[in-house]
Amino acid sequence: MVQKHFTVINAQGFHMRPATNFATAMAAHPCTVTIRFNGKEINAKSPMLIMAACIKVGSEIDVVCDGEGENDALAAAAEMIEGGFGE
Amino acid sequence: MIKGTAASDGIGIGKILLIEEASLEFTPHPVEDPAAEVERFRSAVNTLIAQTERDAAMLRETAGEKEALIMEGHISLLNDPALKGETENLIMGGQCAEEAYSSMCDMFVGIFSSMEDEMMRQRAADVRDIKAGLLRILLGVREVRISDAPKGTVILIKELTPSVTAGIKKGNIVGIITETGGKTSHSAILARALEIPAVLSAANAVSRLENGQPVIVDGSAGIVIPDPSFDQLNEYTEKREAYLRERAELEQFRGRRTLGADGAEYELVCNIGKPEDANKVLDHDGEGVGLFRTEFLFMDRSAIPTEEEQFAAYQQAALILKGKPLIIRTLDIGGDKEIPYLGLEKEENPFMGFRAIRYCLKNRELFKTQLRAILRASAFGDIKIMFPLITCVEELRAGKALVEETKKELTVLGIPFNKDIEVGIMVETAAAAMISDVLAKEAAFFSIGTNDLTGYTMSCDRGNANVAYLYSALQPAVLRMIERTIRCGRQAGIPVGMCGEAAANEMLIPLLMSFGLTEFSVSAPSVLRTRKCISRWTKLEADGIAEKAMSLATEQEVADYLSKVVSAAK
Repeated sequence: MVQKHFTVINAQGFHMRPATNFATAMAAHPCTVTIRFNGKEINAKSPMLIMAACIKVGSEIDVVCDGEGENDALAAAAEMIEGGFGE
Repeated sequence: MIKGTAASDGIGIGKILLIEEASLEFTPHPVEDPAAEVERFRSAVNTLIAQTERDAAMLRETAGEKEALIMEGHISLLNDPALKGETENLIMGGQCAEEAYSSMCDMFVGIFSSMEDEMMRQRAADVRDIKAGLLRILLGVREVRISDAPKGTVILIKELTPSVTAGIKKGNIVGIITETGGKTSHSAILARALEIPAVLSAANAVSRLENGQPVIVDGSAGIVIPDPSFDQLNEYTEKREAYLRERAELEQFRGRRTLGADGAEYELVCNIGKPEDANKVLDHDGEGVGLFRTEFLFMDRSAIPTEEEQFAAYQQAALILKGKPLIIRTLDIGGDKEIPYLGLEKEENPFMGFRAIRYCLKNRELFKTQLRAILRASAFGDIKIMFPLITCVEELRAGKALVEETKKELTVLGIPFNKDIEVGIMVETAAAAMISDVLAKEAAFFSIGTNDLTGYTMSCDRGNANVAYLYSALQPAVLRMIERTIRCGRQAGIPVGMCGEAAANEMLIPLLMSFGLTEFSVSAPSVLRTRKCISRWTKLEADGIAEKAMSLATEQEVADYLSKVVSAAK
């Protein structure tokens, strides 16, 4: 299991498009991907659960990847979140 | 008359076609073979995905790319592993597909509709839309298709869903009335993209109107007139033609440069308040941004936004504009706006008090955080910095010194930014206008903020009805302030823009052209109209008008004269 802490920097947070793009990207990895936010665990392959979690700009989150290809998944997640989802 | 939300401009006159959703009620029944039920569910999802893909392709042709993306958003919701997985779990637990999917969708609808953010509340409509779509397939109910509606049809529907919209034939549907949805709802966006007049959230429209009833839809005013009288029909037919004529005329100015009648070129840019508004600038053919207000970043929250957050917002605007100019105004906050965490005290006289650049220069860390974020974003576009409410040269010098200090720190850290970034000022106080000759030597550009300049020059609060009569940019005193500022800027060889409401005022435009204004910054929807107004005059004609206007003694005389001149030119 690998994990990393992030602060969400893009103005819109995990809004519709970022959430959808993120979940789609995570779904391509065989390991499980979970976002820990506000004491909740969110399946990061589900755009709906991500949107429902209401993760806004400035939110502190942890991304946890567990299983096959976990390092690749975490690297991909970091690139998207730290890059502000290309907004 | 029924009132609603004006969601898509224009006037439609036609007959009501009520679109009633077929009943999607079902009786939950226990399932004997859950595995087979899961298969039935999966195949329904696949059918709906295929159908949605077809709708998206159709919408791409009739409405455009952005609207098609809404439909494609539905596909990602249909594929959502949580929604699909949990539904299948419920089915394996013995529920029928209809019941399982409905309860999962209802849960998400509940979550999304309770969110504060309107954009997110729209997701509830998306989920309801896919739920209805799936139930229709599971129950074998045929969907209402409106592609057969005859010419002159006004659609009346509870909620306009993208899947219904996909069937709209542009030439046949002349108006849309719904019972739900706001200005930013999918219904509104779709109606605007299709250029069909729409009144949304018209209360109880479905029960108050009936199929085949003649009706007028005024999407600009947000009203629906059932059974119009002969006079009303005449009035609105005329209005409709005038609207179409004007729009066609303005459309001719799209994609063109902003030129006076003699070919002199001006810059026509926009005022924005959020990074995503930069998209509207492009939609309305603006040439860049003359004023990006940064207050939104600081409002409605409990702590100062971080540098990263600010950087992301400025960078986003710069990236959307793709190299077009972007003037970012530093924080313009003061005693009249409540931002608890900034610790601003209530003041007797907030407009004369501790605000804008005055506050920022006393709160160096907050100010430098913003400057650092702007400088970092300057590596991604043509960004300029603008200080608000400058009243003396020392303030400009102090602000510029902080910009230099911040640049040095970034250089040490090896963080890229535009080393030649321009630093200009708002001229919006009487003091700045009076010393604009001195300020012009040290500012890279001016932008005249006519709203505050008018208030400060006339010493009146436009919110106070007893003195509001003084508040006009056509007051001879205000015109002299504007003329002086532009002249001093021109003499020093710096560009002078205007970002107040006056920049789009057709009466003032010939005066501004004569004075030598180089940049007009207006709200995005005013771009084409302003470009057209500018195209009316040569510099020589404008000079003649300005000379006469400046010789008049009262605001009334100036207004009468200019309105006469402008109507004669139309």
